Amino acid sequence: MTATAGTVETAGAQPTEALARWARRNAWSLGLLAFFAALLVFTKFIQPSYGVTGVQGLAISVLPLALAAVAQAIVVISGGIDLSIGSMMALTNVVAASLMLGRSDEFAVVVVVGVLLLGLVLGAVNGALVVLTRVPDIVVTLAMSFVWAGCALLVLKTPGGGSAQWLKDLVLGPLGNEWIPKAAIVLVLIVGLIWWAVRRSRFGLSLYAIGSNQLAAFRSGVSVGRAKVFAYALTGLFAAFAGLSLTASTGIGNPLSGSYTLQSVAAVVLGGVSLAGGRGGAFGPIVAVLILALLRTDMTFLNLNPNLATSAQGIILIGVVMVGTLFQIRRGRP
Amino acid sequence: MIKGSTRRLLVGLAAVAVLASACSTGATTAPATAAPATAAPATAAPATVAPPTTYKIGYSNAGGVGNGFREEQVCTAKAEALASGQVSELTVIHQNGTAAEQLQQIRDLIAKGVDAIVFNPNDAAALNPALTEAKTAGIVTVSVDAYVTDPDTYNLYNNQVEYAKLGAKWLFEQMGGTGTVYYMRGYAGHPADNDRHKGFLEVLAQYPNIKVVPNNDGVATQWDPAITTTLINDFLSSGQYETIQGIWTSGMDSIVVDAIKAANKPFVPIVGADLGAFVKQLLDPVGYPGLVGAAVTNTAAVGGAGVGLALKLLNGETVTTDPTASQPNTVLLKPVVAENVTDQGKALLKSWQVDGLDPNWPLGLQIEGYTTYTPAQAVACKGPND
Repeated sequence: MTATAGTVETAGAQPTEALARWARRNAWSLGLLAFFAALLVFTKFIQPSYGVTGVQGLAISVLPLALAAVAQAIVVISGGIDLSIGSMMALTNVVAASLMLGRSDEFAVVVVVGVLLLGLVLGAVNGALVVLTRVPDIVVTLAMSFVWAGCALLVLKTPGGGSAQWLKDLVLGPLGNEWIPKAAIVLVLIVGLIWWAVRRSRFGLSLYAIGSNQLAAFRSGVSVGRAKVFAYALTGLFAAFAGLSLTASTGIGNPLSGSYTLQSVAAVVLGGVSLAGGRGGAFGPIVAVLILALLRTDMTFLNLNPNLATSAQGIILIGVVMVGTLFQIRRGRP
Repeated sequence: MIKGSTRRLLVGLAAVAVLASACSTGATTAPATAAPATAAPATAAPATVAPPTTYKIGYSNAGGVGNGFREEQVCTAKAEALASGQVSELTVIHQNGTAAEQLQQIRDLIAKGVDAIVFNPNDAAALNPALTEAKTAGIVTVSVDAYVTDPDTYNLYNNQVEYAKLGAKWLFEQMGGTGTVYYMRGYAGHPADNDRHKGFLEVLAQYPNIKVVPNNDGVATQWDPAITTTLINDFLSSGQYETIQGIWTSGMDSIVVDAIKAANKPFVPIVGADLGAFVKQLLDPVGYPGLVGAAVTNTAAVGGAGVGLALKLLNGETVTTDPTASQPNTVLLKPVVAENVTDQGKALLKSWQVDGLDPNWPLGLQIEGYTTYTPAQAVACKGPND
């Protein structure tokens, strides 16, 4: 069920067997990765000049949605859902941009830390409301999405503000080798460090536990309410990272969020996170975001209407959920 | 925790939402297919300087999909790419999005290896990183309809200060330099509205006997038909209409004329834009007896002109820029005014009308020096690879 359980099992097993088990457990993510690799080859085939520029562009384009997808994955694994991620991104985006305009680089560091804390607080408010009111999380977070969106418009009426140069440089261009985009390193560092720490903590265990079976988790001594608030707070933190990545990549704040919320749900589903909770990780959704973005780029290369990519995304989403349910029925899981 | 059925509903909802948004935008991208199929002869001018015919151009429009002004921009871009005979491929990304999403559109076009990128910017500064990358890749960039602050990008848009000045000057002269004007502005805070306000006040300062109601800041129609209708009906029913001698509108003109007609009041001189419906009213003395007015051009052919400008830059031709503009490398398009008082004015208004044009599209389908297509080609909305 969890990483801890996995390490105990693998310790005594044969290496090949352990590898096979690991592959089986991550079959979906590995399949996605293979599909992404195939899509890259296909892209190179239809556009032979696709190379460094394309990879750099892909990395910086997917950064906001990839972080939003990880945010959504965390709360979905815990058995909830957050429909306010897009609005939290917009709010943290405009707060960062309006505070950084015309200020020093040092002050911008304070702003970044403050905005990340703000994200934690926004998420914790969502989580506390879900736990205290016992209103379904889908309703609470939908309502809160309007509250956070309204707050964003109070901070900035129209797109504006600014960004510290170091923040922009943090995600723009390559690092060392021209093939390694800074945006990808930032993504790997943020997700890798936080996700690694969470998975190894008691909280990470309770996250999966309450997602799998709330009652069983409660009877095993997990404080369900606290774990839930923690999950939403962590989602808020990643939404703030996503909002900051918007500030960094555009250099401004935009109070109107894009379609990040529903796209993050789509990425989570495609990424192998069960909407029933308790299963999945952060890696699958990120690969799913990469695939969706590269599909759009291919539409441009093929001179197809990019709106078709959006349709394709919806169809793939329905297909994945149907196939996933079929597998679950086959395995005899509820 | 929510039940499985609710979750399934949510996934369904998410899928339907993305599908619906895609389908709705997809459907509105083709308004011109209903137009008469008078397909103009393709590639008409091969005999000039024998320019290369191998340019690949990208076009990014990330807002107002379905809006007549934006649709006309995209269609004129396609028409110019086709008519110039120099474009082998025009890749159009016509999809609503935020500035962050338009950054991806531009980067996709860079990765595609186009020679030039023409775009309608969602923000003046946010696209600059991608525009710098385009320059590094040797790609010419042209911003149309509004400017960007990237110093290497060329900007091409309508001179909105001049737009307001032309109409206001005509109106104040028509009123004999004295009287009261109802000042109906556009969208509060929009750069074009700010520029028009500047021009209006400049001309107003030259006419000391002209008074403006409700005050010099005017009223904001937000370029919204419903808001405009409410404003003019309130103005008519409150009796204030009897105290004015002229109306200046920032577009939304035909709605104001229809409201005055419906209220059965005599017309006062009115200024508007070159939208099909208003020009039709000005040329219809039977339907609108006593209507005196003037239309100022605000062409949406900036899309086609942007492609024309990109081709000039690719061919190394010199481009005359306007040093009075706020940014370097800016081509400001000069608006033109035409009234229905003189025969000359009426003839000009008639010459603007285009058969088969969507009534929500602005007239003025061509821009001298930058577009080479025929009106029929713009209406047909076909590019070199369509």
